[in-house]
Order: sequence, then structure tokens, then C-alpha cells
Amino acid sequence: MSGRNLVLLVVLAVAVLIGYNSLYIVKETERAVMLEFGRLDQADIAPGLHYKIPLVHEVRMFDARILTFDAQPERYLTVEKKAIMVDSFAKWRIRDVNTYYTSTNGEETRAERLLAQRINEGLRNQFAQRSLLEVVSGERDQLMVDLIESLNRFTNTSLGIEVIDVRVKRIELPEDVSGSVFLRMTSEREREAREHRAKGREQAEVIKADADRQQAVIAAGAYRDSELIRGEGDAKAAAIYASAFNKNPEFYSFVRSLNAYKETFSGAGDFMLVDPDSEFFRYLKDPKGETSQP
Amino acid sequence: MAWNEPGGNNQDPWGGKKGGDGPPDLDEALKSFQDKIGKIFGSSKGGGSGSGGASMGRLPIGILLVVLLVVYFVAGFYKVNEQERAVILRLGVYKETKSSGLHWNPAFIDEVIQENVTRKRFHSTQGTMLTEDLNIVDITLSVQYIISDARDFVLNVKEPEVSLRQATDSALRHVVGSNVMHEVLTEGRAAIAVDVQQRLQQYLDAYTTGILVDTVNIENSAPPREVQAAFDDVNKAREDEERVKNEAQTYANGIIPEARGRAQRTIEEANAYRDRVVAQSEGEAKRFEQLLTEYSKAPEVTRERLYLDAIQDVMANTSKVMVDVEGGNNMMYLPLDKIVERSQANLGGNRVELSQQVIDQLVDRTTEQVRREIMSSSRNTTRSPR
Repeated sequence: MSGRNLVLLVVLAVAVLIGYNSLYIVKETERAVMLEFGRLDQADIAPGLHYKIPLVHEVRMFDARILTFDAQPERYLTVEKKAIMVDSFAKWRIRDVNTYYTSTNGEETRAERLLAQRINEGLRNQFAQRSLLEVVSGERDQLMVDLIESLNRFTNTSLGIEVIDVRVKRIELPEDVSGSVFLRMTSEREREAREHRAKGREQAEVIKADADRQQAVIAAGAYRDSELIRGEGDAKAAAIYASAFNKNPEFYSFVRSLNAYKETFSGAGDFMLVDPDSEFFRYLKDPKGETSQP
Repeated sequence: MAWNEPGGNNQDPWGGKKGGDGPPDLDEALKSFQDKIGKIFGSSKGGGSGSGGASMGRLPIGILLVVLLVVYFVAGFYKVNEQERAVILRLGVYKETKSSGLHWNPAFIDEVIQENVTRKRFHSTQGTMLTEDLNIVDITLSVQYIISDARDFVLNVKEPEVSLRQATDSALRHVVGSNVMHEVLTEGRAAIAVDVQQRLQQYLDAYTTGILVDTVNIENSAPPREVQAAFDDVNKAREDEERVKNEAQTYANGIIPEARGRAQRTIEEANAYRDRVVAQSEGEAKRFEQLLTEYSKAPEVTRERLYLDAIQDVMANTSKVMVDVEGGNNMMYLPLDKIVERSQANLGGNRVELSQQVIDQLVDRTTEQVRREIMSSSRNTTRSPR
């Protein structure tokens, strides 16, 4: 009885082993090739459940998804011989499993190494035709389109790979160049700062000068007006005097002279030498007032 | 036979169990399955002992198979959250995408990959990059994204989120490289974020990642640390500009009203002068006219009186020296300085101290007066025969 059970177990085990080794699943994300004694028998097996003969057939599976190749930063020269550091990545996937297997032995790293050489060369050519400005700004898209096209011409046929996209992540200037860029940026900012300060002083000067001018104009205007008013007063006064004094000019000059004498000799310190023969002293010597008239 | 007895004993507890627990149909199937196995073993070794020979292996294998079936069946169940989608691969081939709920798929045959599709995922990147005018800026950017197509996300691209990161870097640098620094640092930030989002989505669609970019935010854009000081200085310069202007305006606001005030004062002073001289002239004119009226009534007497009044005033207020000498041109010594000193003393203590200069002036003036008096007196003498 136990011998029979043992046989049964062995038979079962062998059946499971054969089943396990003869059935295989190709997933949606994979591509597979089947080799018969090392010779390519069946290429590009569709996803699903398949069978093979153990020991006779060997199945190799590859990732059929879009893969990313992240390139090392490389130093390139632009058309004006400026060095730049460029970091790029590529998106690729297997297009022809048969070619892919034969050319790379199905090894992803080998495929990427071959791809890297191509991308490197392609980028070098593209950059060498363009100026730094074109590379940095406007022409990235065109550059990539050209590059992908030329890459695919090669990889489609000889590697079985389709390059979907190549993108430049970073374009950087080498350290010594970026140092001078910083200097230039600093000088530009200094220029701007200087300009602001100078403009400020300019405006200030304009405002102050205008204020000074207004001040002068106001003062001069006031002087003019005041002189006008004074003249007006003088004229009016002169007219009044003239109209009054014209009534008897001789008497006016008499009265005015007397006033002037009084004004002139008003100070106590004034000192006068008088002649007793004068009209004023007519009665000083002679009560009849006839002394002075001999 | 010896092995029949324990076999019969063992059958009872198992029988009791089957009646109580196992569902009848399952039990039935199990039993027929066991029978089949029993026939295979039994028929080869002899009919009589057929059922008895299986009894030792029947029980453990049966239990094992039932347990395995149950486990297999249960293992096929899974639930999908509201936030998730389940991508089903049957024998490696994409079958369907299931939404939320309780589902069953045969284990080992179907592969179930669940992915959260509503959760906002977040990626942030920071870097130094060149602008169109070949300046260097530091930018921090964040991307929020969701998975819009679970099938694409799971099946199409290896490491789709790494692809997103790289595509973000590339798109950001492309857009920044197409803008001048001023735009990147100031007004253009929002527009740049929109451009980056469009470009990034374009890349991701090209790679069929099944990712939908929700928002792109430029969190920070600044000049590099090396030139930060210069940028700050520009801001300071802007403030200085305003400050200097304000100071000038302050000056202007200070002096102009003052000037206006002074102008008004000048004009008022002129007005005062005008009014004063006019009033004075009017007064004097009136006075003269009144005097004239009286004068015209008695000219001789009035004239005489006025004259004497005036001379009296003059004489009363001045120091006098009467020179009663015929022929006034004789040499004569007058101690004028002494006389002046005395007259000063007479004025009172206040004005005793006069400078030499003032005294000189007084002396000069007095001398002049003396000369004039002499001349007038000589004229009077000549005129007196009249």
C-alpha cells in the first residue's frame, strides 16, 4: 500500500514539474522570444498562457514597457565653442523583439549603453550646429525632434528599439563660466541700483530747484507789486501836495522852509553862530528896530 | 481484519462532523471524488479490500483538498476602495479595470493590481537653471497629479513616477529657458506655471503614463545666492529713490508757503506805506490850506509871526554863539570842542559818553553851520539897505 502511494506521489510530482516547466505566462508588460536549443524559434510571443517543451525550448522575456534611460551629464560645445553641461534622459521601448534579442542578447544595460553612445553623439552633433541661446531657449523642441528622428533611423533597424523621446533636463554652464555669469548679473543689478539712486537724486534736484524758483518768483513778484503800490502812494501824495501847494507856492516855500529849519535844528546838540545884525535880532539892540538899517 | 476495526471507529466522528458542518453538495462532490480515487487505488490491488485500502489516505487528503479549495476560493475575494481602481490581468493579458466594491477573481489565474486614482500625489523639484537672457535663477516647483488611467499607469511605463520627475525637470527648464529673467522672477511666474503644466502633460501623454497633472506651482523663484545681495541692493536703491524724492518734496513744501507768506508781508508793507504817505500828504495839504486861508486874511502879520515862531524854536533848541564883529571874515578862535562837550553834559548823564567819531561829526556840522550863518549874515547885511 505505501509503495503504491509513493509511486502516486512521484507521478504527481513529475506531472506538476512538467506542467510547471511547459506552461508559461507572458504578461501584458512583457515581450518574449522562444528558443529551441538556442536557436530562435518563435519571436514576439503575444501576452497570455503558452506552452513549451521543457529542456527543448527556452523562453526569454523582456520588459515591453516604456523604459527610461537617464544619461550621465556630458560636456558639449556649442557652435560658438562655449562649453555646456547637459543632462538628458531618453524614453525607449522594444520595437522588434527579434532584433533586440539578437543585437543586445536581451540585456537592458547593454541596450542602454549602445543607446547612450548614440544619444551622446546625436546631442554633440545637434549642439555643435546651434548657438547657446538657441539651445537654451527657442530650439529645444526642434533639436529633440531632429535628434529622435536620427536616432530612430539607426535604432529601429539595428537595435530593435524605438526611441520615443529624448529630453534635455539640465543645461548648465561650467563652474568658471557660471562664476562670470554671476559677476555679470551682479554688475547688471548694480547698474540698475545706481540708476535708481541717480534718478532719485535727479528728481530731488528738480523738485528742489523748482521750489527755489517758485520761491524767487514769489519774492520778486511781491517786490514788484510792493514797488507798484509804493509808487502809487507816492504819486497820490505828490498830487495832493501839488494841488494844495499850488494855491500859493511862495507861501508854501516859506512855511516849508520854516518847518525844515525847525526839523533841522531840533537837536539840543546843534550849535549856531548868530550875527546880531540878522532880522531875528532886529529888536535886540534897538527897541525901535532900526539898528540894522543905518 | 485488524485494520477494519479502527477504520470503522474512525468513520463515526467524521460522519457526525459531515452531518453538522459541511454543506451537502460539497460533501457529495467530495465523496464522489474520494470514491474515484479509491477506485483507482482499489481496482489495481483487488476489489474486496478496495474501500478499506483508501480509508487510511482518504481522510487527510480529503480534508486537505477541502481546505485548499476553501482557501483558494476565499483568496479570490478582494475589495476595491472608492479611491481605487483594480486592473485585472488574466493569465498575463489585460482583461478589465474594476471600480470600487467587492470582487472575486480566481487566484493565480488573474492578477489584480490596485491603484489609488483619486489621491493627489505630490512632487517637488528645485534647481538652478538658465533663462533666455542667459541669467541663472533658482526655482522651486511643485506638481500635484492624479492617476487618470490606472491601466496605462500600471502597464505602459516602467516607473511612471520617475518619468514624471524627469519630464517635470525638462519641461520646467524648457519654459524657463524661453523666458527672460525678469519675467521668471516677477510677473511671469503664473504664466510659466501654466506653460510648464501644458508641456508636462504633453510629455506624459506621449509616454502614455496615465498621469493627469492637476496643478503646477512655482513656489519660489529667486536669483542665485551668489547675486542675492545685488538684487537686494536694487530694492534698496528703489527705496532710496523714493526717499530722496520725498525729502526734496519736504523741502519744497517747507519753503514755498514761507515764501508766499513773506511775499504777502512785502505787499502789506507797501500797502501800509502807500496809505501812510497818502494820509500824510492829505493831512499836510489840509493843514497848509487852512493856514493859507488865515494867511490870506492877514499876510504880513502872519508871515512875521510864523517866522519868529520858527526861529524861536530853532534858537531855543540850539546852542548859540553870537558873533558881534564887523567884517565876519576875521580870524577868530572858538573852542568848539569845549562848547560841544559842555552842551553834551547839559543833556544829562545818559549821553555823556559819545565816541570821538560822533563828536567829530558834530564839530564838522557845527563848523559848516557857522560858515553858512556867516555867509547868510553877510548877505543880510548886503540886503539890509532894502
